[in-house]
Amino acid sequence: MIRQSVLVSNKLGLHARAAAKLVRLASSFSSEIHLSREDANQQIDSKSILGILMLAASKGTRLVISIEGQDETEAEAAICRFFEAKFGEES
Amino acid sequence: MASKAEIVFNGRGVSPGVVVGQALKIDRHNRLILKLHVDDVDEEAERYLRAIEAAKEQMTNLKLQLEEKVGSEHSIILDAHRLILEDRTLNAEILATIRNRHANAEWAVMQATDRLVHAYQSLEDEYFRERHSDIEQVAERILLNLSGDRPLSWEHLPDDLIIASHDFNPSNFATMDLRKVRGLVLESGGRTSHTAIISRGLRLPAVMGIRDLLASVSTGDVLLLDGDDGQVVVNPTKERMENMRGRLEAFGSTAESASTPPGMKTLTRDGTVVCLLANTELPNELSAAKSSGAEGIGLFRSEFLYFSHPRGVPGMEEQLATYRTLVREMSPYPVSVRTLDAGSEKVYDRADLGSQPNPSMGLRGIRLSLQTKNTFRTQIEAILRASCDGNIEIVLPMISSVEEIWQAKALIGRVRAKLLKRPDLALSRVPLGAMIEVPAAVLSLESIAREVDFLCVGTNDLIQYTLAVDRGNPHVAYLFQPLHPAVLQSLDRIAEVTRKLNKPVRICGEISSNPLFAVLLLGMGFTQLSMNPLSIPSIRKVLREVPIETSRQIAREALSFPTASEVHKYLTEAVSNLVSWDLATYANEIAAPSTQN
Repeated sequence: MIRQSVLVSNKLGLHARAAAKLVRLASSFSSEIHLSREDANQQIDSKSILGILMLAASKGTRLVISIEGQDETEAEAAICRFFEAKFGEES
Repeated sequence: MASKAEIVFNGRGVSPGVVVGQALKIDRHNRLILKLHVDDVDEEAERYLRAIEAAKEQMTNLKLQLEEKVGSEHSIILDAHRLILEDRTLNAEILATIRNRHANAEWAVMQATDRLVHAYQSLEDEYFRERHSDIEQVAERILLNLSGDRPLSWEHLPDDLIIASHDFNPSNFATMDLRKVRGLVLESGGRTSHTAIISRGLRLPAVMGIRDLLASVSTGDVLLLDGDDGQVVVNPTKERMENMRGRLEAFGSTAESASTPPGMKTLTRDGTVVCLLANTELPNELSAAKSSGAEGIGLFRSEFLYFSHPRGVPGMEEQLATYRTLVREMSPYPVSVRTLDAGSEKVYDRADLGSQPNPSMGLRGIRLSLQTKNTFRTQIEAILRASCDGNIEIVLPMISSVEEIWQAKALIGRVRAKLLKRPDLALSRVPLGAMIEVPAAVLSLESIAREVDFLCVGTNDLIQYTLAVDRGNPHVAYLFQPLHPAVLQSLDRIAEVTRKLNKPVRICGEISSNPLFAVLLLGMGFTQLSMNPLSIPSIRKVLREVPIETSRQIAREALSFPTASEVHKYLTEAVSNLVSWDLATYANEIAAPSTQN
């Protein structure tokens, strides 16, 4: 299992459009991918948009990703890139 | 699962009695989602999945249409909605509810989405908090796709329901199987709203004005409803139920004791004859009116005939059948039919009326009738023809000038002339009355009284219009003061003018079902009181203990105070000294406002 901390750094936070993209991205991997806020314990399924939005992750929120499965390494790399690229919204 | 902790709510008790039952929740969108037991859970799960697939297809089409019109930038929200439809956590929860609890798909959807909506509503960040509306929209779409393949049926419902709703249109009563309803609890409303009046008429304990109730109640929750104290307890504890057992049983057994043999007169202690009549609305109130010993129907609110009708406008024959039943059943006593008083409280939503921003001051009552003359003529013809079968009267609502009476009389005259040509009809004389419920009518009472056979005072509307208080608005409901000196002055003027002109007058508002107010009215000189039939026995009992001269003194004194609270204090003391039982509940009913806290 891989655990990795990521930062929400775009202006709007992990809002509906970004959440939709994250669900699609996470769903393309077979691994189980969970997310939680660094300041809270509750883990959500990153393949569930309602779970992601419930994190209410605004700009500056730190999230912890836990990934487990056959393609966990690839999944981790892709998701970290997604966060670093500010969800592909701000250049 | 949500916890089953006890929650106590305090509101206004608007219809007395204590009952326990299970909640039937009607949500903000007026949806009524019931929990049904499903035997074949596989089939139900399939049914749910079919609805989801149909919804997905609709979303795809919607998205294409939207993109054509405004470009793909704006269709993103539909993307999110589609992902909510596909959300595996949500779907797993709904399917588990269907399978584990043998629940119908609709209920399972509501349970899951309700929980989510509440969770989102508690988020601090405004953007994320607002996502609850996306969940609601998706839930709406799923429910839409589920509806139609199995219509709602009351047949399979339990018979201990307590309706929990934000608002309750009186017409909702028409669509329910009332034998299965034990009580009513609403977020909106006050004691004198139309729904409250009907609840009392149906002897349905009711509590209103509990804000934020629905967030804590789900269909199927056990509710303990106390219409005397205005309290509602969700998931009451065993201890509480044990403490309430006595009152629950007492309420259950009062039905029989309210019955009174017909033909009984009501006399004050010194022999003044008082005539107690029944206000009715629903056909099933007729037996209550008869067993209460009412000396007639003092006010039949004909709106029910209209709003329970599929087309909104019942034909002449249908109306005639109802009026005929009323006069035959009540014979030899009279039945006063108030012509259609729609407009206020939206009992009669007709598209061609448009929406009126201020319906209680808009096109309602006689104003509407004089503008929809065909509908009015039909009602008049039905009433006149029912006079062949018994004693019937016409009362015109919302009269604000004598011209309205002239116009109505001209129309009634023409209908009558036409009917008189028919040899097969033996019409009797049909007395005409006017509702006095607008301050203008009080001030021009002399000219109005000369044009009619009798007057009916609609105290609810008179109070509302005199004080400029919308009784259904929870923010100002506390200003609805029946004992306001201006209200008492108006009533006193009505009593005085009608006495001088020797014109019969009847109080037709629910206020006369309050023993304290009834004594006051008696003292002012009103000897015809019409009220919900279930209150008649207790009012009769009170008036029998009151000498007329004492009631006159009480009325004179009550008219001398400058504030409602002083009137209230005085009246409570004075009447309590006269009668031998505790009037505290009734005193609270007409209490001067404590400012809202």
